Amino acid sequence: MKLKAKARSFAQGVIMAGISVFAVSAAQAEDVTVWAWDPNFNGAAMQLAAEHYKRTNPDFNLVFEVFAREEVEQKLQTQLAAGTTQGLPDIVLIEDYSAQKFLLSFPGAFEPLNDTLDYSQFADYKVQLATVGDQTYSVPFDSGVTGWFYRSDILEEAGYGADDLENITWNRFIEIAKDVHAKTGKPMLSLDLNDPGMIVVMLQSTGSWFFDDNGELNLVNNPAFRAVMETYGEILQTPEIYKVVNGWAEYTSSFTGGDVASTITGVWITGTIKAADMPGQWAVAPIPRIEGVEGARNASNLGGSSWYVLASSDNMETTKDFLATVWGNDIDFYQEILVGQGAVGSLLRVREGEAYQSSDDYYGGQPVWQNFSQWLGEIPGVDFGIFTYEVRSAIATQLPDIANGGDIDQAIQRAEAEARVLTQ
Amino acid sequence: MVQTRLGRNESISGWMFVTPALVLVGLFMIWPILWSLWMSFQTGRGMNLSFGGLANIQRLGADPIFLTALTNTLIFLAIQVPIMILLALVFAVLLNSPRIWGRGFFRTAIFLPAVTSLVAYSILFKSMFATDGLMNHVAVGLGLIPAPISWLGHPFWAKVVIILAITWRWTGYNMIFYLAALQNIDKSIYEAARIDGIPAWAQFFHITIPMLKPVIVFTTIISTIGTLQLFDEVQNITQGGPSNATLTLSQYIYNLTFRFMPSFGYAATVSYVIVLLVAILSFIQFRVARERR
Repeated sequence: MKLKAKARSFAQGVIMAGISVFAVSAAQAEDVTVWAWDPNFNGAAMQLAAEHYKRTNPDFNLVFEVFAREEVEQKLQTQLAAGTTQGLPDIVLIEDYSAQKFLLSFPGAFEPLNDTLDYSQFADYKVQLATVGDQTYSVPFDSGVTGWFYRSDILEEAGYGADDLENITWNRFIEIAKDVHAKTGKPMLSLDLNDPGMIVVMLQSTGSWFFDDNGELNLVNNPAFRAVMETYGEILQTPEIYKVVNGWAEYTSSFTGGDVASTITGVWITGTIKAADMPGQWAVAPIPRIEGVEGARNASNLGGSSWYVLASSDNMETTKDFLATVWGNDIDFYQEILVGQGAVGSLLRVREGEAYQSSDDYYGGQPVWQNFSQWLGEIPGVDFGIFTYEVRSAIATQLPDIANGGDIDQAIQRAEAEARVLTQ
Repeated sequence: MVQTRLGRNESISGWMFVTPALVLVGLFMIWPILWSLWMSFQTGRGMNLSFGGLANIQRLGADPIFLTALTNTLIFLAIQVPIMILLALVFAVLLNSPRIWGRGFFRTAIFLPAVTSLVAYSILFKSMFATDGLMNHVAVGLGLIPAPISWLGHPFWAKVVIILAITWRWTGYNMIFYLAALQNIDKSIYEAARIDGIPAWAQFFHITIPMLKPVIVFTTIISTIGTLQLFDEVQNITQGGPSNATLTLSQYIYNLTFRFMPSFGYAATVSYVIVLLVAILSFIQFRVARERR
């Protein structure tokens, strides 16, 4: 009797186990997999989007796989080149600088979303970045509008208030940085000589780019680029105002750990700054302006990215519905990721929302989101083309030499020669 | 008559035995090699490839980054391989001596790096040589250097770090070959030398090294090939930087294929440069090491 009961419970156990295995595998078929970088920013936004979607679709399950940005792109490129779709995610995040490269290099790999989203609702420049012919492939996500994120407590200690930092030039910035270092011992910036993102910021703030209107390299005879390199060179030759870092982890810990007083980068860094949990110690100013170039502004862009659906997705319907429902429509969601992560989304309607008007206590009560939307409107538009990272790499090669006092014009010539080979 | 039929049967079954292996080798070795050769004549971006004749070879001649990568690779080769071979030889001879206490421990300790993952140890080296990493703390603490060195941010020191890393990783591996070869040298030769009053250093140069010659040639060729294909360490420690100072040919191939706008054809051309270098260097090493008769 006892034995029989045992046998029965065993049989029940097997059946239950069988059912739960079945349930698990059924759930896996419904999984939507996402590849992206930066868990504090893209990750947090995507997870929140999934939560919003689950309110109406409780079975929905999002698998978020996080890598470094370069790794996401290289992994994707490797797989697409190999011609196998197994193991590819349903959704992948691609930075705006690389969007056209992927769309043109791998025709047919991405799913056009013209029938899924109403693109007239999104910022036009983001839509253009992901359009080839008459097909648009992205769910436009964040803008990379830049700001000067500084430690208000450190700058205060050196005697600088918010008004002293408004709309200044880079020359004034260097003066302030020297002064701050003299008074507090802290360098102003952290720079990674392998990743000249700041040059990209400076260049777009002048309205110029690495390429001219015909897509030809435009470095040697580009006065705006020369002014940028001169300014950047001056910073590099003032070693007390920056700390050299290698790689993303060292870069973020340099300002969250209090080694440096500020960083100049895209608004998406808010996720990292807020994760450091230092409310009231941070503030944001507009970026400095390049002197001597007509049309140069105190606003620019760095990065910014969009979500793309792989044409190989075996879960296309759910994926599209998820993106259309939350990313294409959910205003509340956009307000939450704005305040939480600093994600300045590309859905235009959201900008009229309440969150954009609010002030942020983390940033000392500044109306930061209003400021960012204002700066967003001032960014000079440029066409990134398809070779941004090639040129960035060619420029990075010249930086140690410039830091040692090398000639700027020669460096620009060498950068152009190197970029010419890489952009063949 | 009977014998030829038997012979034919034997050769048929013989071929049947080797066929699976041949098919696999053909499919996974010979076919990709031929395909990559074909690809090295193609130009174009991404999957949009077309036949370009010798265009890639022309591009090679005018490519400053390729030249930098080639120079870096040859510098690594010329400095690192001799240091490592010599160190491995010295360690092997020392640890072969019965008078050394704790031989087993030291052999294991020196060989241990060879079983670690390339990526894992690279990341360790990266953190050790970070500006506020272990190396700078120790060196500044001991007063060896006045201020922290930006190891990975300086073109010269970055090369030094890479050479240190690969030497640490591969010396023990080469030592094992020498240890094994040393066991095979007849002890009576050393005994005779001792009786004749030959000093230890002369025994090393006139007995040990000549007797180890085939193994030295073997390890030199293996190390040469390994260094020409150097990738994991630079990718993980320096990413080829700063200023391409540690960019190697393999990493350039990787960048051309996976990091930049994919140029599969040109990348295949660069990879054939490595093939050519390996062939030439191995040939030279064989010639130099050949017994004069």
